[in-house]
Amino acid sequence: MTEQELLFGLRQGEESAFKELVTRFQDRVFNTALGLLQHHTEAEDIAQEVFIQVYRSIQSFKGESLLSTWIYRITVTKSLDHLRSKKRKKRFGLLGSLFGDDNKPAYEPEDFNHPGVLQEKKEDAAILFKMIDLLPENQRAAFILNKVEDLSYREIAAILNTTESAVDSLLQRAKMNLRKKLNEFPP
Amino acid sequence: MQNKFSEERVLSIMESFGGIQPAVAPDFFYTRLRAKMQPVEEKRRFFMLRPAFITATLAVLLIANVISLFQTDKMPHRPLREKQDPTVVNSKPATIESFAAAYNMTTGSVYE
Repeated sequence: MTEQELLFGLRQGEESAFKELVTRFQDRVFNTALGLLQHHTEAEDIAQEVFIQVYRSIQSFKGESLLSTWIYRITVTKSLDHLRSKKRKKRFGLLGSLFGDDNKPAYEPEDFNHPGVLQEKKEDAAILFKMIDLLPENQRAAFILNKVEDLSYREIAAILNTTESAVDSLLQRAKMNLRKKLNEFPP
Repeated sequence: MQNKFSEERVLSIMESFGGIQPAVAPDFFYTRLRAKMQPVEEKRRFFMLRPAFITATLAVLLIANVISLFQTDKMPHRPLREKQDPTVVNSKPATIESFAAAYNMTTGSVYE
């Protein structure tokens, strides 16, 4: 099925077209969300939300960009929105009480292990993900899209609605910040 | 006590994503997605049956009726002579009295 055929089917509300869309993009969406959120369950939830959003908004997709660009853009937006929401809850949670309803700590920092990292690099990658968690949103998004999702500067620029030179700048600053934080690690 | 990484370690960490393979979506992702979408589709279908929607629609109709009643009230009254003379052409809707007068009947005989 070509992209045009897929879009036509989606706009007609065809189940087979939607299934094809999900099959084609689920791994990319999940991997991107996982890299940004560093949490398997949340990444799956967000990935589902992405496809629900695509299903609802397909009529408004004008085809000015590639379908993949649009889907990645929704993925990044929803993932970053989720991160912001989590940070807000964490802030209020710490102000209120340290313990939740189940008498567990409201904030439980975890070491994140991406399933695709080579075995011999898992420990180092877990540290790197911790440092990525401290980056500003745009640097974080650019870094994950480039290093984890292996997208080109051109693709990233389309997704983030910016220029390739701006993407290059974001990545340079991200690397600089990561090195700086590693040199300060542990805080 | 400082516990900083060596430059070599920093470099190793910065390059730890080398050779990374993309994660795969969980099993039965599509099935779970469709299950999650079910309430969304049903909500859309049954939206028009929701009390809030019905109430809002009725309120709009009621307000439209009230406005049209006020508009009718504001229209100027005709002189009594015009009301009684059925041959006078006017824009007001025909009353049963004018209908009876036009056919030389009384209102009682109209209803018979």
